[in-house]
Amino acid sequence: MTKSALKIVCDSGPIIHLDELNCLHLLEDFQEVLIPDAVQKEIKRYRPLSLSKLNVPFVFSPGNISDNARLITLCRVFSLDVGEIEALSLMEKNPQALLLTDDASARMVAEQMGFKVHGTIGILVRSIRRGQTEAKEVLGVLKEIPSKTTLHIKRSLLDEIVIKIKKEFDL
Amino acid sequence: MKTIQTEVPEQLYKKTLALVKEGWFRDEKDVFSEAIRRFLDTHRPELMEKFIRDDVEWGLHGHD
Repeated sequence: MTKSALKIVCDSGPIIHLDELNCLHLLEDFQEVLIPDAVQKEIKRYRPLSLSKLNVPFVFSPGNISDNARLITLCRVFSLDVGEIEALSLMEKNPQALLLTDDASARMVAEQMGFKVHGTIGILVRSIRRGQTEAKEVLGVLKEIPSKTTLHIKRSLLDEIVIKIKKEFDL
Repeated sequence: MKTIQTEVPEQLYKKTLALVKEGWFRDEKDVFSEAIRRFLDTHRPELMEKFIRDDVEWGLHGHD
């Protein structure tokens, strides 16, 4: 497996959702998977074994909060929780990294700050492009999202994604 | 108006009461209504759909 040059900073949602789908290994090909303190605590509360069982290059960071007034104001306006604020603060120190979150508000703040941001679905679909998973397998995983995970997506959108992948890979 | 019954964490409720006590809101119902309104505003379906579509596009055709 060739490693991507990309570092990622994680919010708790994608780690929890990928673990629920037994897909945490898809994070193995990133350079580093940075986890701030509050995010680590939240993940440990819901999926206690997820941070220790794989070869994911987790890097645990202290939970520092940025002193960038614009970022903090946006975080307050969008009522972000401490984990999301710590993750965005960590992004500020690693602006070339990718923020991984499934929270719409955190995502809006990240985009406002000019950070690259994606979520669980992005990682699942990316795994085909990176040669980690067969397209057919990813279709199976996507279909399991409503029953196996706490990630809530509109059914018709999920169906649309399945159709798009089938078309893209002639399935 | 619709009346609903729900459970909230103790700490959240205490903070809500404190806001009311300080005079920032008329009562706790106003705080909850305002909180829900703001949440719904930042979680508009079309926005969440856009995020997911962006994810799929990056997943399929990204360059990392």
